[in-house]
Amino acid sequence: MNDPFEILGLSRGLAISSERIDKAYREASRRLHPDSGGEEEDFQEMAEAAELLKSPSRRLRWAIESTESAWDGRGSVPTSVMDLFSPVAEVIQKVDQFALERGNSKSALGRAVLDARVPELKRELEDVLQSVSDEEADLLKAFKEFDRRGWLELAEQMGQVARGLSFLEKWQGEIRAATGKLFQALLGGL
Amino acid sequence: MSEVIVGIDLGTTQSAVGVMDSGFPILLADESNSVLTPSVVWYGGNGEVEVGQRALRRAGVDRVFASVKSLMGRRYSELDELQKRAVSKEVTFSTASGEKSPEEISAEILKELKAIASRRLETKVVKAVVTVPAYFNDAQRAATKRAGELAGLEVVRIVSEPTAAALSYGLDRLKESARVAVFDLGGGTFDVSILEMREGVFEVVATAGDTHLGGDNFDEFLLRMAAKRLSVEWEGFDGLERARWHSEARRVKHELSQRDEVVFRIPFSGECVISRGDFELEMSPFLDRVEGCCRRVLLDAAMEVSELQAVVMVGGSSRIPVVKERVEAVFEKEPDLSQHPDEAIARGAAIQAGVLAGTVREVLLLDVTPLSLGIETMGGLMNVLIPRNTTIPCKAGEMFTNAADSQKSMKVRVLQGERELAADNWELGAFEVEFQTEKKGQARVGVEFRIDSDGILSVLARDIASGQDTVIDVGSAAVDVAEARVEKMVSESVEFAFEDMGARVFEEARLKAEELLPAVEVALVQLGGHLETEERQVIEKARDGVVSAIASGNGPALKAAVEELDGATETLAAMLVDLASGALFSDS
Repeated sequence: MNDPFEILGLSRGLAISSERIDKAYREASRRLHPDSGGEEEDFQEMAEAAELLKSPSRRLRWAIESTESAWDGRGSVPTSVMDLFSPVAEVIQKVDQFALERGNSKSALGRAVLDARVPELKRELEDVLQSVSDEEADLLKAFKEFDRRGWLELAEQMGQVARGLSFLEKWQGEIRAATGKLFQALLGGL
Repeated sequence: MSEVIVGIDLGTTQSAVGVMDSGFPILLADESNSVLTPSVVWYGGNGEVEVGQRALRRAGVDRVFASVKSLMGRRYSELDELQKRAVSKEVTFSTASGEKSPEEISAEILKELKAIASRRLETKVVKAVVTVPAYFNDAQRAATKRAGELAGLEVVRIVSEPTAAALSYGLDRLKESARVAVFDLGGGTFDVSILEMREGVFEVVATAGDTHLGGDNFDEFLLRMAAKRLSVEWEGFDGLERARWHSEARRVKHELSQRDEVVFRIPFSGECVISRGDFELEMSPFLDRVEGCCRRVLLDAAMEVSELQAVVMVGGSSRIPVVKERVEAVFEKEPDLSQHPDEAIARGAAIQAGVLAGTVREVLLLDVTPLSLGIETMGGLMNVLIPRNTTIPCKAGEMFTNAADSQKSMKVRVLQGERELAADNWELGAFEVEFQTEKKGQARVGVEFRIDSDGILSVLARDIASGQDTVIDVGSAAVDVAEARVEKMVSESVEFAFEDMGARVFEEARLKAEELLPAVEVALVQLGGHLETEERQVIEKARDGVVSAIASGNGPALKAAVEELDGATETLAAMLVDLASGALFSDS
């Protein structure tokens, strides 16, 4: 992919706020969207670049590849991320089990007994989502350091952080999906 | 002057047409000065057609066609029983002027709106922006476009209804920055979208909805409720009787938004009182579905309700007090009712028409595709190529290769939906990828899936070796597949019916008993203290009855015992539900 920073008219740098990216996306849309007289191809390229930049892990991964360093998706991840693995898996499994039992439930009382567990499950999901977001914020602190000392220099640490971030992003999605499942089961399914 | 483009809200129960006039969206009135045209069509025997108020006046005397929007782009196998009764296997209505598809009937409404606009603007109108429910899929959007063509209109853009309502809300707030939810509960469909509005850019962040939920559902249950109370068999109604009952149900529904009790009255059949409480009780499952969509859109947008500045309510059913209450409970803020519930969408369509005509320069709309697009992979799973809520226009590519030496082609099924199993999603169609004769794994064909600004899919195949592009028709071959599947399911269920009934009754009752017995213990420990001694004894007796019925092995006996326990624990279940919902929403 071409330089997504350049496409959006941003200076290269990992430590960028999502508000900056959003603003650049809106400004570029004004120029490039077909309804404003732009070309569809250009708009799509820009939209994909913005999508990439909005994801910290993909942004970091692009930075690593731009230095022509090797990228390996299966390498090590920060231990602080690994420590989150089992709490995340555990609560998602609990919700899956709940949704399954709720779906198979045949009596009003059976459902009511199950539903009594919902507030606790919801709290557990919120807590684990908070831990994941805190961990993400923690890892993002390193971006400034990567920019300052140069991407080529730190490619290996960057790889580790990128893998950690991509786990965290995946989990955020899964935790949100599990929260959705919880409500769906409660509200009669969709 | 630049060319005129009108904005059209083609609604389930009523439609409207608007245009930009000196920077403001205005709606155009018909000869009787009404800006709302009922989405009703009447056909006479000699090819006569009447639309709107004139057609509506014939309802109850002659057959008219209403609410056809919910059938646009749908297959017979997907319709519910009531809808199936109204149409042929090809999903057409038989009218005095012959068989008519939902698109053809909608085209009559569009023609009428086109005529109103041409008359008011004193110019020939040929281009239009037409709105659809955000949650309409590819086939439903394409059918809407076809209806436009049949009416002699060039549909320059399909816009989602809640997005249009957001444009109407945001036009005089262009300097502000806000995140808003738009809640649109119309005659037949429900949508909820979250938008970010900044510097005139309207960006849809996420959208969710239900294309089978709206005011028509509420009319239907009011009709049934009244028929039951008057001991009238509504199943036997002919078209005209249905129409009379329906219009009375609608009147009662409207009045219940103002008053606590309304008399449902049908001449020669009788009358009965319907209270707002009765109505709200029946509304509850629908409101649960509405709430489910609201929760999902918040999750998809990864936003907390506290991050939203406003919840804008539009659509006729927004007037119902219990709907407003639920919206307020879910979004934790008083809904914004500044937009006219029946007119906001047409106004928004007019604004987007102005954008495309070049007269409105300060607004840019970035909409999304509501449903994930994917293909079926081996093992019957759905492989998502374009996730839902991706900004349109967008595209995604996939590379296909031959799995065997002499393989000439492979079949690709295109799906839309959010379920993991391919079979649970809507199948848009299927196509064959043609391979040059090559060794296994050598032939390569890239396929590009493109969703345009209307949310409509097109597919392009590129042979990598020859560099040749072919536009692929995602054919309707899928229709046969779907029909075949339905027929298979029907025949399977018939086979089931001949199984040993006794054994099945016992098995079903046993499963239910196995769930109920431990639940009773849990509930008694938690809430037993709140029960009267007598109530407790009734429950315990019913429980013991179930235990001994299991031992007896008698199906009907167990079934009866389980039903008794189910009934005896009703209060207990309700108490638990209250307890849980109180704890669930008090802390958030």
